Amino acid sequence: MSAEQQDKNAVRVKGMGDGLCVMLDPDRPPDVLEEELTRVFTPLRHLAVNARVMLDFGDGEGGDALVGKLGDFLRDSFGVGEVARIARRGKNGPDERLRQRDMDQSWHHYRSDVLMLTGRVRSGQKVTARRHLLILGDVNPGAEVAAGGDIIIMGSLAGTAAAGQTDDLESIVLALDFRPTQVQIGPVMAAGLPASPRPFPEYAHVEEGGIVVEDYIRANPFGRLPWPEVR
Amino acid sequence: MEGKIIVVTSGKGGVGKTTATASIGAGLAMEGKRVAVVDMDIGLRNLDVVMGLENRIVFNVVDAVKGKCKLAQAAIKDRRINNLFLIPASQSDNKNVLIPEDMVRFGETLKAEYDYILMDCPAGIERGFENSVAAADEALVVCMPEVSSVRDADRVIGLLYARSITPKLIVNRIVPEMVERGDMLSHEDIVDVLSVDLIGLVPMDDNVIVSTNTGNPLVLQKESKAGAAFLRIAMRVNGRTDLPIEVPRAQGKFWKRMGTKFGLGK
Ligand SMILES: Nc1ncnc2c1ncn2[C@@H]1O[C@H](COP(=O)(O)OP(=O)(O)O)[C@@H](O)[C@H]1O
Ligand SMILES: [Mg+2]
Repeated sequence: MSAEQQDKNAVRVKGMGDGLCVMLDPDRPPDVLEEELTRVFTPLRHLAVNARVMLDFGDGEGGDALVGKLGDFLRDSFGVGEVARIARRGKNGPDERLRQRDMDQSWHHYRSDVLMLTGRVRSGQKVTARRHLLILGDVNPGAEVAAGGDIIIMGSLAGTAAAGQTDDLESIVLALDFRPTQVQIGPVMAAGLPASPRPFPEYAHVEEGGIVVEDYIRANPFGRLPWPEVR
Repeated sequence: MEGKIIVVTSGKGGVGKTTATASIGAGLAMEGKRVAVVDMDIGLRNLDVVMGLENRIVFNVVDAVKGKCKLAQAAIKDRRINNLFLIPASQSDNKNVLIPEDMVRFGETLKAEYDYILMDCPAGIERGFENSVAAADEALVVCMPEVSSVRDADRVIGLLYARSITPKLIVNRIVPEMVERGDMLSHEDIVDVLSVDLIGLVPMDDNVIVSTNTGNPLVLQKESKAGAAFLRIAMRVNGRTDLPIEVPRAQGKFWKRMGTKFGLGK
């Protein structure tokens, strides 16, 4: 990849509801980032004025210091409104106030990406969600549910569930009564899971390349996260 | 007269659709209604055999639908039960000779003539099924206490809901001893999965085979538990929704009354 190409990739912008989300590589020097911001913001003209801007530094370290500097730059050069950083899992700075602000902002700026259904999915029926799928009801044997992200069944899952389609290994499948015919997360598949003696909430996730099913209450996988995150 | 068309279906074959159609049809006729049972299993007809009317067939349902004969010419009057008529399937045709639009039209003709029309649906979910449900107002889904039968019933129930038909469930061929030993699905297990209203539970009963072989209606056999169960289903179909559902018991002697939990008539 040429140096110029790399600089281009240092800043990308995408529309986000009523604001702009800007992805930056915090490992690039600040002046390169400013240059790149100029490149992507200039064509936006009046669209940038008073726009809310969320800076996304990905999983990279050290973005916090940049937020103020680049925020000032964007306000001065393009008249944007609020500038804030998107909260990222476990990578936030120690500043409680900043963290609280990031968290609040993240609620405002994300659109729901969940398909929520009530009722029973019957044999031969298939439900597919672009991202997360939430069903208040049961999934019968012979039925199929699939999602780009997580699958949550508030009832019994007796059919086939494919989460994280097609390659997201972070996705989970959770059901109050977990007895699927088959579970798939990303490309990883499991079948013939031993039946539990009585219904209780269990969830499947990928660990070291294999599907692991655990007691959801006991494992409490997301209870360890210190504050709510957008999933 | 504005009759009601009820399709008897299951997805899977051999679960008792034909037996149920003949028996419930007879039961409704015994309630004083004018009833037609229609064999929609084109090419594999057997409702006529079960009813002991096979040697009376001249015209069949395909002839009637296609206008090759009058409805009255295709309808065979039962020998023993008044007001009961059979419209037999054709034996030679392919089931694709009929299309759902034909059946909707034919349904209107039938409804003008009968109080209840029961359609004995063939196995499968293809054209034969489409034809059978095309004109249906209501549906009875027959299911056996067997995982594969429940699966097929579930599939069919989904297809019926998709056509805005709310089905009612018959669980047939229950062996109470096996249910009590835990070797057979109980009707509660089945209703849990299918979540539709139950309209009757029918035990396994040797009289069914005797009846089929002799052409003597099951519902007229006093000692037949299956016959009694189908009679009660017929009464519920005919509006007696207060009639409790009886659960077949082992020990043979008594029936347990089930509460109104699975009550019908919403
Ligand atoms: N309750 C019952 N007890 C015993 N045998 C039954 C019962 N119901 C149906 N059968 C038998 O099961 C077989 C299939 O029944 P049938 O009514 O022809 O099913 P379908 O029309 O669904 O294919 C027949 O041999 C019939 O005699
Ligand atoms: Mg049959």
